[in-house]
Amino acid sequence: MNPILADIYSTILPSAPYIIAAYALLWVALLAYVLIIFRGTKKATAQLMLLEEAVADQQAKGE
Amino acid sequence: MSSKTLKLPEAGQWPDKLVAPALIAGAVLTTIGFLMAFFYVAPVGGATVNGAELIGDVMVSQKMLLSQKIFYFHMPVAITSFLALGFGCYYAVRFLMTKNRRFDTCSRICLEIALLFVVLTMITGEMWTRFEWGVWWSWEPRLTTYLILMLIVIAYFVLRSSVDEPERRATFAAVVAIIATIDVPICFMITRLIPSSIHPVVLREGGMSPEMGLCVGLCALGMMLVGFALYRARFNQVRLTQRVDALKETLDDER
Amino acid sequence: MERESECRTAERGGTRSTLCKAPSTWTQYKTLLAKDLKAEFRTKDMVVSMGIYAFLVIVVFGVALSFARPGAEFLEVSGGLLWALVVFTSLLGLNRSFAKETENGCLEGLLLAPLDRGVIFLAKATSNLVFLVLVEVIAVPLYWVFFSSFAAPAETGWLLVAPLVLGSIGIAGIGTMLSTITAATRGKDVMLALLFVPVIFPLLYACVSATTCALVGGDVFADGFLTSLALGAGYDVVMILASWVLYDFVVN
Repeated sequence: MNPILADIYSTILPSAPYIIAAYALLWVALLAYVLIIFRGTKKATAQLMLLEEAVADQQAKGE
Repeated sequence: MSSKTLKLPEAGQWPDKLVAPALIAGAVLTTIGFLMAFFYVAPVGGATVNGAELIGDVMVSQKMLLSQKIFYFHMPVAITSFLALGFGCYYAVRFLMTKNRRFDTCSRICLEIALLFVVLTMITGEMWTRFEWGVWWSWEPRLTTYLILMLIVIAYFVLRSSVDEPERRATFAAVVAIIATIDVPICFMITRLIPSSIHPVVLREGGMSPEMGLCVGLCALGMMLVGFALYRARFNQVRLTQRVDALKETLDDER
Repeated sequence: MERESECRTAERGGTRSTLCKAPSTWTQYKTLLAKDLKAEFRTKDMVVSMGIYAFLVIVVFGVALSFARPGAEFLEVSGGLLWALVVFTSLLGLNRSFAKETENGCLEGLLLAPLDRGVIFLAKATSNLVFLVLVEVIAVPLYWVFFSSFAAPAETGWLLVAPLVLGSIGIAGIGTMLSTITAATRGKDVMLALLFVPVIFPLLYACVSATTCALVGGDVFADGFLTSLALGAGYDVVMILASWVLYDFVVN
């Protein structure tokens, strides 16, 4: 490769880790937020099931 | 719970139908934007080199800046964070007018989304700063504005967690959300407008080529759609949690 | 004791509003302001503690700069240091201004009276401004005395009074509103700092710039002084208006 071309491309390799890190961290952070939402939903659904059972128990006792 | 005249945002209303399409469209658009950024848009030139070389069919006499590719996602997340903050302020005003706690929930979630996207902006910006300027932080106006925005949003959540009374918490939070929304543009303006004789402003290359604009536009639209989908998903989850809690309380009372 | 009795008369005035004419807004404002000033000048604890604190901050700066070489470059830093002094001192004062009101239930008394909330805000902000200015009148010359050996300011140096006035007004306005919010939270001192510093940031930036311009003088002064002042004034107007409007919601 001639020196001019090497100079033109000189910043590409050193900057690659930073670009990869930027994009990777971006998607990781978004994914983390999605996970938080998902876990919250799961927890709420589980509690809802417990409540339903409790209500069913109460009704069974009432009858 | 809700009054007849007031239409409250609730899980399962029409915006929820748009969540799946928005998410898919957002994913597709950001992917297209990503591919365009790396394979379609010409790289931006930096410092001039000694001489010129023919690459493809253009003469290039500047160093190619790959690090500039961060920009195509950096600016869209920044715009989305501002939008989220704007909506947060809108719901805060609605809360103060109606005193209905549903709007407080909406406002809180908007600020959560704002915080998420501010953090994304900071992450991508930091990586770019680190490479381009060789430092992890510089008091450049835009960086400063985002730091302040992040601090206020964090303070908002700390404030929420340090007030016990729900009514009061909602009011204080709404006031802080409005103050934040007023403060951030002022901060942006002041750090930009104060002359550079004391505070050096890093002047970047001006203007964008049409391809660059298109690429940024696609990414921005995609990010906004992703942000909207996240907002609705979080809203549905929070509403579900709130309803379960309310149900628990009524059941406890009956016993 | 005096303050409590005043609160009570205000209450009574409210319940008997059918009998006597409600005082004008100006009278209300004057009474509220006089109440704060009278209470302060009886004990002087806020101004004294702020003054001592300011002095201690100056001492800390002295230690921090003990290995710095004197020279004209110091002028570029000294404006910023002066503002650090003002911010820390005002934080201390703002924290105390509302702690006093909540301690002996005076705030409830005030709120029971048929007063416009905006008047309460303006009176409280004015009293905070008075205390802040009093402390600055002592602290700024003191700062100059202790650090004048580093570098002599330009002839335009006395103009730093303008950013000081602007900054104090803004700090008192937005600080009053924020300290009202944080007075009702857990861990109020930290909470106030956490909210106050980022919200005040634009004003601080403008004031530091104007102060530095005044101290450095010459071309720098011509370039930036007026712009910085105008921007700081813009912040003051917008934020004080916003605080004034929102105060209604905060105290209810």
